Amino acid sequence: MGGFHPPFSYTLTSYDLLIKLRTPYYMKCFYILVAILVLGSCGNNKNKDKTDFVESSPQTISIQQKIANLKNSRNKEVLVVAHRGDWRNAPENSLQAIQNCIDMGVDMVEIDVRETKDGELVVIHDRTIDRTTKGKGYVKDWTLDSLKTLNLVDGLGVETNHKIPTLEEALLLAKDKILVNLDKSYDIFDKCFEIIQRTDTNDQVVIKGVKTREEVEAEFGEYMDKVYFMPVIGLAQPNTKQIVDDYLTHRLPVAFEFIIPQDTIQLIGSFNEIRKKGASVWVNSLWPLHNAGHDDEKAALDPNIYEWYIDHDVDIIQTDRPQLLLDYLRSKNLHR
Amino acid sequence: MRNNIRKIAAVSFMILFGFLSFAQTDNNLEEYRTTRILKQIKSPSKDYVLAVSHRGDWRYAPENSLPAIERCIELGVDIVEIDVRLTKDGHLIAMHDETVNRTTNGSGKVSELTLDEIRAFRLKNACGIRGSKIQVPTLEEIMNLTRNKIMVNLDKVEGKTVKEAYRILKKTGTTEQAIFKGRETVQYMRQKYGSLMDSIIYMPILIDNTGNAVQFVEDYDKELSPFAYEVTFESESSENFKQIAALNRKGIFVLNIALWDNLVAGHTDELSLLQGPEASWGWLIENGADGIMTDRPRELLEYLKSKGLRNLNNKR
Repeated sequence: MGGFHPPFSYTLTSYDLLIKLRTPYYMKCFYILVAILVLGSCGNNKNKDKTDFVESSPQTISIQQKIANLKNSRNKEVLVVAHRGDWRNAPENSLQAIQNCIDMGVDMVEIDVRETKDGELVVIHDRTIDRTTKGKGYVKDWTLDSLKTLNLVDGLGVETNHKIPTLEEALLLAKDKILVNLDKSYDIFDKCFEIIQRTDTNDQVVIKGVKTREEVEAEFGEYMDKVYFMPVIGLAQPNTKQIVDDYLTHRLPVAFEFIIPQDTIQLIGSFNEIRKKGASVWVNSLWPLHNAGHDDEKAALDPNIYEWYIDHDVDIIQTDRPQLLLDYLRSKNLHR
Repeated sequence: MRNNIRKIAAVSFMILFGFLSFAQTDNNLEEYRTTRILKQIKSPSKDYVLAVSHRGDWRYAPENSLPAIERCIELGVDIVEIDVRLTKDGHLIAMHDETVNRTTNGSGKVSELTLDEIRAFRLKNACGIRGSKIQVPTLEEIMNLTRNKIMVNLDKVEGKTVKEAYRILKKTGTTEQAIFKGRETVQYMRQKYGSLMDSIIYMPILIDNTGNAVQFVEDYDKELSPFAYEVTFESESSENFKQIAALNRKGIFVLNIALWDNLVAGHTDELSLLQGPEASWGWLIENGADGIMTDRPRELLEYLKSKGLRNLNNKR
């Protein structure tokens, strides 16, 4: 934050004081010079402290490059995933929130999928529509048509002109532009997959689940080679090493998502090894319990917090502050 | 002897300068930024349009939180608008809704909770996500944070908590740095608050349920001669809209609220994203706005700068 300077007012200017003391003329000149230098440098510091808001103009990264970066766990390029889209500047999970991510140069957008009463898939986070619209009730009790009559609200809870998108609308917007992580999709994946196929976006979609390899293969087998599946591994749980090793040996995933409550967990030291074997390492910077306290809110005060991810060989970061993270990574030459 | 004096003088200057550079007030040898902003409000000019940020930069940090206000200071916003409510035990805190339900992880009415109880809650971010460590700030904390850096526009005080708020301003030495506002008539305010009305900066609000806009302004001018009005208008044919030109002619500052359609006849922040800033912010300025309240402070400031409308430094 840095800005809580004590309120400080002074009535005597430095010049007043100079005049009051009987010092020789040349000493006065010297003091005045010092004063100018000190005050001048003070002004400079202030400018440096100011956050720079020049939008970094991203080079457009083609979808092919984004896919290649996702698949390549060994290069130094770090993938940026925007949680629920750019929800600061448009309603979360709205088409505009996805479009903003595309414009910003974000690699992947994370969106949430739910099923309506009439079996359609829409993009919305909560089970109910209460928080993100002015309506009330469960998504599963609303038909798509009736949901489409509602407007999404902004971050103040005020209605906007944006609508709840269908999964199909979201995928068509993302197609050939940005990777998509479908959250909450695991249990309704048959339906999701139909839409993924219809929109021809297979190679852009990442699915995840807190499952062992055997579970996933049993439940999800037919899709394993058709979309990217990413196991989610909570590092506080037992047996994590076995689960990871089993995936690495029998079915190499495109990435692992690791939840890291504390720094002391041993597996953190093996991220580099995992990446060498061909799987990327995804860590969320969203909340402190995801990343041993190296979260976006701390980074908002000091972006160098993100260094922790680089030091620990993380190459995919899901964030609530995509612009801040992109600016940081670009400054370190870790993102285009 | 002379040498000693010289040494003492040198050392004391070093200490003094060290101190000065440490203090880093906004304007080393000039006036405070808040003083310059107030001058601009008192005599609006064509080369500067004020940027007023609604509930702080809530896209960056929770609405009505200290970080959201601090962010406005960093952006160079002139006035931050915050909502102030009274707790059960008589403390003024920043909270928009009557309840804490939407913006914190707690629940209940502000008026039925004590400050301590509210301090135990944590603010949610604009995505409704819990887990921030940020507490609900008191008005006193806000005034200590903003002092000399940014002016504060107090909403929800209206004709209800003027005395309580004034007490905090007195205590923090910021009576010249906060703008009260309200939609009550001058007769109501005068009767309720008497001479206190002459000690605060008060901005009457012309809103579409103001019965007789002309009379409303006339009465205020006669009784309090406010130097600023907040003017909202549903359409260009509304009486309120016509008042803008009249206020302009008298050199009275006009604040427009670009948040929602019915406050600016559709010339909103959102429109400036969809059709470009000329269609909304530009239109408002063209039609007499001296200041604009926005939910997009960064974009508004960029636009104003690009139009040469941020020349505060030239002011005497």
